[in-house]
Amino acid sequence: MQPQIILLKEGTESSQGKSQLISNINACQAIADCVRTTLGPRGSDKLIVNNNGNATISNDGATIMKMLDVVHPAARTLVDIAKSQDAEVGDGTTSVVLLAGELLRQVKPYIEEGVHSQVTIKAYRKATNLCIEKINEIAVTIGKTNEAEYRASLEKCAATAMSSKLIHGQKDFFKKMVVDAVLMLDTLLPLDMIGIKKVPGGGLEDTLLVQGVAFKKTFSYAGFEMQPKSYDNPKIALLNIELELKAERDNAEVRVANVAEYQKIVDAEWGILYDKLDKIHQSGAKIVLSKLPIGDVATQYFSDRDMFCAGRVPEEDLKRTIKACGGSVLTTVGDLKDSTMGTCERFEEKQIGSDRFNFFTGCPHAKTCTVVLRGGAEQFMDETERSLHDAIMIVRRAMKNDAIVAGGGAIEMELSKYLRDVSRTIAGKEQLLIGAYAKALEVIPRQLCDNAGFDSTNILNKLRQKHAQGHKWYGVDIMNEDIADNFHECVWEPSLVKINALTAASEAACLILSVDETVKNPKSGGGDMGGMPAGRGRGRPM
Amino acid sequence: MASVGALAFDEYGRPFLILKDQENQKRLSGVEAIKTHIMAARTVASTLRTSLGPKGLDKIMVSPDGDITITNDGATIMKMMDVEHQIAKLMVQLSQSQDDEIGDGTTGVVVLAGALLENAEDLIDKGIHPIRIADGYEMAARVATKHLDTVADIFSVDPNNLEPLIQSAMTTLGSKIINKCHRQMAEIAVNAVMAVADREAKDVNFELIKVEGKVGGELEDTILVKGVVIDKDFSHPQMPKELKDVKIAILTCPFEPPKPKTKHKLDVTSVEDYKKLRKYEQEKFEEMVNMVKDAGAGLAICQWGFDDEANHLLLQKKLPAVRWVGGPEIELIAIATGGRIVPRFEELTSAKLGFAGLVRELTFGTTKDRMLVIEECKNSKAVTIFIRGSNKMIIEEAKRSLHDAMCVVRNLIRDNRIVYGGGAPEISCSLAVVKEADKIKSTEQYAFRAFADSLEAIPLALAENSGLSPIHTLTEVKARQIAENNPNLGIDCLQTGTPDMKVQHVIETLHSKKQQILLATQMVKMILKIDDVRSPADRL
Repeated sequence: MQPQIILLKEGTESSQGKSQLISNINACQAIADCVRTTLGPRGSDKLIVNNNGNATISNDGATIMKMLDVVHPAARTLVDIAKSQDAEVGDGTTSVVLLAGELLRQVKPYIEEGVHSQVTIKAYRKATNLCIEKINEIAVTIGKTNEAEYRASLEKCAATAMSSKLIHGQKDFFKKMVVDAVLMLDTLLPLDMIGIKKVPGGGLEDTLLVQGVAFKKTFSYAGFEMQPKSYDNPKIALLNIELELKAERDNAEVRVANVAEYQKIVDAEWGILYDKLDKIHQSGAKIVLSKLPIGDVATQYFSDRDMFCAGRVPEEDLKRTIKACGGSVLTTVGDLKDSTMGTCERFEEKQIGSDRFNFFTGCPHAKTCTVVLRGGAEQFMDETERSLHDAIMIVRRAMKNDAIVAGGGAIEMELSKYLRDVSRTIAGKEQLLIGAYAKALEVIPRQLCDNAGFDSTNILNKLRQKHAQGHKWYGVDIMNEDIADNFHECVWEPSLVKINALTAASEAACLILSVDETVKNPKSGGGDMGGMPAGRGRGRPM
Repeated sequence: MASVGALAFDEYGRPFLILKDQENQKRLSGVEAIKTHIMAARTVASTLRTSLGPKGLDKIMVSPDGDITITNDGATIMKMMDVEHQIAKLMVQLSQSQDDEIGDGTTGVVVLAGALLENAEDLIDKGIHPIRIADGYEMAARVATKHLDTVADIFSVDPNNLEPLIQSAMTTLGSKIINKCHRQMAEIAVNAVMAVADREAKDVNFELIKVEGKVGGELEDTILVKGVVIDKDFSHPQMPKELKDVKIAILTCPFEPPKPKTKHKLDVTSVEDYKKLRKYEQEKFEEMVNMVKDAGAGLAICQWGFDDEANHLLLQKKLPAVRWVGGPEIELIAIATGGRIVPRFEELTSAKLGFAGLVRELTFGTTKDRMLVIEECKNSKAVTIFIRGSNKMIIEEAKRSLHDAMCVVRNLIRDNRIVYGGGAPEISCSLAVVKEADKIKSTEQYAFRAFADSLEAIPLALAENSGLSPIHTLTEVKARQIAENNPNLGIDCLQTGTPDMKVQHVIETLHSKKQQILLATQMVKMILKIDDVRSPADRL
């Protein structure tokens, strides 16, 4: 008898072969199924409760995927592509997962029948390239020359991104805000320069866009209420110093020899603080912001001299204040000069809901803005924030890359038709596989219809017919349960979103298809996965 | 197709797990999820329903450690209920945000949301897509708020004639337990707000209004002090109980020998040294007291304490003092007396002293409790409402009720458009929405009708709580509204004989009503949009 060879550590799970591939595909489809219903304007939301009992209500594919805590190794790739889509373009996270799931579903019968997965991968790659070429070919460039027109087209992109979200009823209101916000940024369009603050209460329409910085009143000591709460053209000192009476060194100990010295030390300590405060006062600053706490002595000192101060300002707010008002964060007061201090036209404290907010408006270098969100409940505002984030990302993308295509399933239908035409000209197995790719693309309009409760077969047939006749922008019309020219209807998306979604989806699909063995070390994660060992399990010869 | 949350099987019938701890997770989806949510939300709404209106009843809440709260303030009830269910939590937040923004109408908003969901359930049963219902509601809410704009009246806020303001504060207080001294409370609330209001900026800083309560006496003894009341007494029993025209030093430094903050060690090696130290401390004390005296202060208010020795010294020097006064109070005193908070004795100058016409100590009944009242100040921008009542629960409820009333007055100062209460605006909006409904050709028409029905839930609940026959009363009022084209007709809860709310002076702010409708619609939309719930199995 042959001796047993133990190759892998005891307890290692490994599985391989075709059955492993099929099993992975099934897992991915299960994941795709759970975000399926969130697609489109009639998509529903998911409520996910985590172990701490905190609820998240979302319609954003990436958020849902993140919350689901997927452990299946193959299914995790889908989570990753959703995340990468979110990071790269910010929108279309649901469609990318759906597309990847559908690509795998379409290829499953071929795998079962014995088509080699490498052939499939090759065909899918080819199809993806064809699609990207086609998108670039038919995408329409929005002109930047006409200011009003350019703005209008950006607004349309923002509106499309928001149409599937909770706030779609207010999209006319928000699209202007989003575009305003993005246009305010400088050329690099850094996202963190748009601050989003949430205040419960009020209607969505009470949301306001501040051209400058706004942040919540920080914790204050006695004396704060006596400080003036509004200034015109104040100088703003931004500090990173603790203005408090405290031990200068934590680890120091003073030995006092006699009583007279004792008083000197006390005076010296006060001297240090007062020195700092005096310097700030002399610099002419009217508003003092610090990342570190500003104590009661300092608060009272400032209120005595008609100055305003806020301690423990969050770092990002301070950064945005610099962007808006100029100046820089100082770690010493010795260097307070006009050049290192910021300024703005108007500073005031205002009540919003139950909180008081500090507003810095009319800033000279306003390359930043703040959106103060209002809404009925925390979850509601969280979701609004995510939706606005998506819309902002889309507008940024549209600005950087000015080609757009029609949404609502129109571009997918057109690509599907194009691929089908191409596939006919290819001899060999690839014909079938590219056909499968074409069919997979139809999942987007199909799902849009399903979510809205329409007869998807009927509408898809109508769409195929229109596209065959050469009407390339026809897509699903959710409002009227019909099809419509979505380019005309102003359902626009940046073409980059689509290109990125297609690339990511097909790459994920290819990745999953190319895996034929999973080796899982013991205790590297909970639960068993990937099906039980097929054939030669546990790495041992039977 | 297998879905996540249930076991998935591959082609060979072997199960595999996709999510972490999948077996411990629960999932609800589709219509089932929506129905559960509606159920939960309705349960919450029906709890609050009986608290609506002037004849609404109160609820007792017992907290885990046995504290009792009696209230009929929607937001407070919701907060105290400590709900577990996610959707119910959303309802709690709903009333909370109404409370934050408006301060009043917290019950109404929940009842409205409950009614909207109840009607949505019927529509879902009819097979209408939940999101279309939500869209329809949103459109209807827009129609309703627009209609409110047209029926709104302008309300003049005139500092010389507070009567209308008092009337509207009375509406709010009408439903509360303290309506025993209805008018008095309303006057207090109005006067308090008017005292601190910044009429130019149309803003009211509530931090300047302090509400203090003390058990004992009657509700009628509640007073508005144009100044500050602090729950402290003079540091020494022999100090005078009443000071007139006194200058006040407000100190945040202790009457103590100064101590360095840096870690230090003083070596006392000889008796001589010890005596020196002792002398130094005494000198310091005297120096401090003299400094306060020299500045011309007749009263020292300290944030920190001082020991009995210092206390004695202060008495000797005839400088009355109050110790351990909290930060917010110090601030209020400073604002009221026009003084400056002084962090260091060296900084003390006569210009920084505050001034009060009268500082006196209040004693209550037979108890030893004393409170200090600082009145007739330079600046009356800080006021205190001092509530008396027979027990703690009444006082707490009175505080909440006054807060509601003050919010109403504040809202009137901010936005002086009003509608009349008593369910009149709801009935009128309902009629307007029904009228619009017939003009809509799509499925949203059903949602419009449902919205109109839901709006009637408020007058219905009002009538029911007042012991009237709800349907009968509502239909009668509705018919009269149409016949007389008068949107001010509402439910006559107090049985005064006329349903005209304008005559009854039942006033609500337009802003508050609009908020109620918008917030409730928003929340309903969110709940209707959820079709999938995942949670750990032991929850939900």
